[in-house]
Amino acid sequence: MATYDDDKQHLSSLFEVGAERLKLIGDNAKVLMQGYLTGGIDPAALNERTLRRLINARVLYQPDDSHELKLRHPVTQLVAALVTDESRRAIHADIADKLVAIRGFVEGLREAQRMGDSLRVDNQMLRIDEAVYDLTAQFEEAIYSLWHRLNSNFGFVSNLSDKIRENERAQQQIKRLIDGMSLIDFDELIELAEGNPTLRKILVSRLQQQMSAHHGSLLEVQKRLVELMTRFREQQERSLLVLNMAGFLREHPGFMVGDYSYRTQVPALVNCAAPIMPAAAVVLDKPEQQSDIAQLVHTLYRELALKQKTDTSSVSADALQGSVQSTAAQQAVEARQQQLKEDAMRYFIHVCEAQEPPSALAFLATEELPWPPEVWLFQVLAEYNALPRQEQKLFAITRDERRISVFNHVHIIEDLAVRFKAA
Amino acid sequence: MNISVHGPLVEQLLAGQFICAITNEEYFAKLQHDDVREGIDEYLKPLNRRVASNDDNSVYFLAYRDIDDPAREHLKQQLGVVMSSLLPLLEWLTYVQEAMGSDGILTAGDTLKLQELVVKTEDNPSLRQRLQSLASDKFFGSSADSVDAQAKQVAKRLVEHGYLQQPHSSRLYFTVTGKIDYLLELVRFIKDEENIPLDDYQNSQAQTELL
Repeated sequence: MATYDDDKQHLSSLFEVGAERLKLIGDNAKVLMQGYLTGGIDPAALNERTLRRLINARVLYQPDDSHELKLRHPVTQLVAALVTDESRRAIHADIADKLVAIRGFVEGLREAQRMGDSLRVDNQMLRIDEAVYDLTAQFEEAIYSLWHRLNSNFGFVSNLSDKIRENERAQQQIKRLIDGMSLIDFDELIELAEGNPTLRKILVSRLQQQMSAHHGSLLEVQKRLVELMTRFREQQERSLLVLNMAGFLREHPGFMVGDYSYRTQVPALVNCAAPIMPAAAVVLDKPEQQSDIAQLVHTLYRELALKQKTDTSSVSADALQGSVQSTAAQQAVEARQQQLKEDAMRYFIHVCEAQEPPSALAFLATEELPWPPEVWLFQVLAEYNALPRQEQKLFAITRDERRISVFNHVHIIEDLAVRFKAA
Repeated sequence: MNISVHGPLVEQLLAGQFICAITNEEYFAKLQHDDVREGIDEYLKPLNRRVASNDDNSVYFLAYRDIDDPAREHLKQQLGVVMSSLLPLLEWLTYVQEAMGSDGILTAGDTLKLQELVVKTEDNPSLRQRLQSLASDKFFGSSADSVDAQAKQVAKRLVEHGYLQQPHSSRLYFTVTGKIDYLLELVRFIKDEENIPLDDYQNSQAQTELL
């Protein structure tokens, strides 16, 4: 019963000390984190008593002659693991030591069994379970850390050469982990577990299952790391090539390459042929195609109309210089059209007001308008036709026509006269 | 094989376009088949053309089948044009890499958001200076003062030359085509061919950075 009490006492004191020291870390979290980031803590930042307690708790230490305090390695590792700071996270692959410990526990277990100390048997079993868990957890943690680095594309370091170095480091870690795994000799473990089903389950079946899963993951990570490394190297090579060639050309402005094209063997990359534009035109010599061509022309008209619409509607701010010019030209045309329309309207108003309304061409002459007579007549006619029905009735339009030929009915309009019919 | 099914593809090739997985996935997939390329080669024989590709077959274009004197003269001129545009192109590539803080030079399939580039450039006087000087190069030919207009003009020229592609004309994002890879292969070739001691430049550049 004595050992049981001892153990209990030991455990309870362990519990108290542990809780107290974790609290100590928690109380000084900000200062410690500052130390983690900057690499050192100024003793002035802490009071004397806290400082001593932190040193006693093996959280901080003072390198020999320096004034600064530093975080001890396990504390740094704890922080690194908590914040997944991959640049600082270290992976232990010390498998051999763990295996020795497990072997020791199994011997202790056997001894206790021989002596019939069931309490110690349970205790030893618990320790074996923990040791095995520790062993697999180590791989799990390492694999997690490796995947994290891989998936973040080594984003925790800023430049490519650092990434390449980190990738190399990760690959070495994998190698060590796999080497460590090979230290686990399952034949030996089977022998150790001989005759004890619980032990066999812990040491053999569970461990084997987990290890083979971890082994698979490690190989996968390794493959991916090698792929990523190849990509990094390619990127590095390209960057250097571009950077250095640009530097070279800058310093040698007159640089000209050799006469590659006049060599007997023209380099394949240089052999890039001149473009040929396959041109085609509409022909009318095949009657069977005429309906297709007619169709084409119709769609062309539709497209042109559509284009015109979009052109006018999309006079947007980001139009480039070329289209700015074309818009200006378009605006000039629009202005002229507007002027023509207004002049035609003026003629209609004049007709309403004048005692002896002039003909369209006479108005054009007296007003000295700049329009060609033909255009003018078209516009007047168009204006008349564009009037609403009611208003159209108020005007009478007479055409001064001439028949062009006796063979057909084509008439030429020589002049137009509009009369206002008061209602 | 019935060549007429590849009509539009042949037309693009004849027009001097570089076809890669980004410019036209469907055509690119076709060109990866030996029999398709052979069919097109046969068809183009009278035009003295054949299908060629870069070293890693990521981009296809037309080459002369027999290199006669007019062909040589054209190739010489063309190389001269490429060489005169090389420095601004390389400068643009390093500028984009630095502005975007990326690990590598742009490569086929990368996306470039012009607005992001503009914002990053505007915030940084040295990048602004670099864009200004390369945009005013006669290859890009921008006389604008604003970062925005310069970046747009540069992108426009790169689209014209087939190095970039703009999937939607109304949206300012661009995809890098396989022609960039072709260009870099050409640079590598020139470096090897002319024995340009580029490693020294790395050192001298490192020194200037230190100074």
